[in-house]
Amino acid sequence: MNRESWIVIGAMLLGVPLLAQGKPLTVTGIRGVTFGAVLPGVPRVVLRTDPANSGQFDIKGPKGNVLLSFVLPLTMTGPAGAQMPLTFGSSDAGYSQTQAIGSQVGFDPKQPFTATIPNNGSASVFVGATANPAANQRAGGYTATIILNVTVLP
Amino acid sequence: MRSITKLSLVVAALVLTGTALQAQSNNASITATASVQTPISVVGAQQLNFGNAFPGVNKTVAAADLTNAGRFDVTGQANAGVTLSFTLPATLSSGSNTLPIDSYAGIRADNSSQTSGIGLVPGASNAAGLSATGLLFVWVGARVTPATNQAQGTYTGTITMTVVY
Repeated sequence: MNRESWIVIGAMLLGVPLLAQGKPLTVTGIRGVTFGAVLPGVPRVVLRTDPANSGQFDIKGPKGNVLLSFVLPLTMTGPAGAQMPLTFGSSDAGYSQTQAIGSQVGFDPKQPFTATIPNNGSASVFVGATANPAANQRAGGYTATIILNVTVLP
Repeated sequence: MRSITKLSLVVAALVLTGTALQAQSNNASITATASVQTPISVVGAQQLNFGNAFPGVNKTVAAADLTNAGRFDVTGQANAGVTLSFTLPATLSSGSNTLPIDSYAGIRADNSSQTSGIGLVPGASNAAGLSATGLLFVWVGARVTPATNQAQGTYTGTITMTVVY
């Protein structure tokens, strides 16, 4: 086989891995963090293991390593622009290869975390937090947005 | 360079470039929500009033005395549990003269008429609850024990009640 043929075959082989990586990466917000009734001056904690009130994201993608990183709010916003501090502890996020809230590896949501998507291409991330109302916190509803970024690692 | 070789190398270059561009990344968001309840307000609504006391004669004002017992009015979140804590003086003062006060007693109720009131011993920590309309009333009574040579005068002191969720 001549040299030209080998070079062409090599180029085509380089193209093959792209086809094998074709499984798309999706991230879905499943459940928000629900603090419920919060009393002024009394911090309210939601654990990442709380099945009703913890936040949950589901990930679907190619098996292999991914980088998880959060965009976390510092406060929740309420009536007339009132702000209520929101904090995330060093173990307030959890990664589960089985998508089970009872089977998580805890990590700090304030730091990027490398995780491995299993063969079935599905995983979940759970998150908790602490709301810190002041003693004179204005009464009413408060909200904040938590974003999870997922990047497939080479 | 022969044309086939050139073409192949271009293809390889495009393939290599395409691989780097297709690193996958995605994101999603969720919402954190909370409902902050009504803050607590405490008002000293009525003074504890012993009126006229005589040297050597003890005088008691019962917590059930709606006219003379001290009263605190509390407002806050409906049906919330609260903890009461009291700072109670041991003496009343008139200038440099002091008058002992003791035997503190209390009653709490969800109405200002003391209907269905519940007795309590004012202290460092008393559990209570706000009514369905977020109200709580607390009365305080006590006893003064003037000495037989108690100096004449108007004696006063401060009773403090703190309420927290």
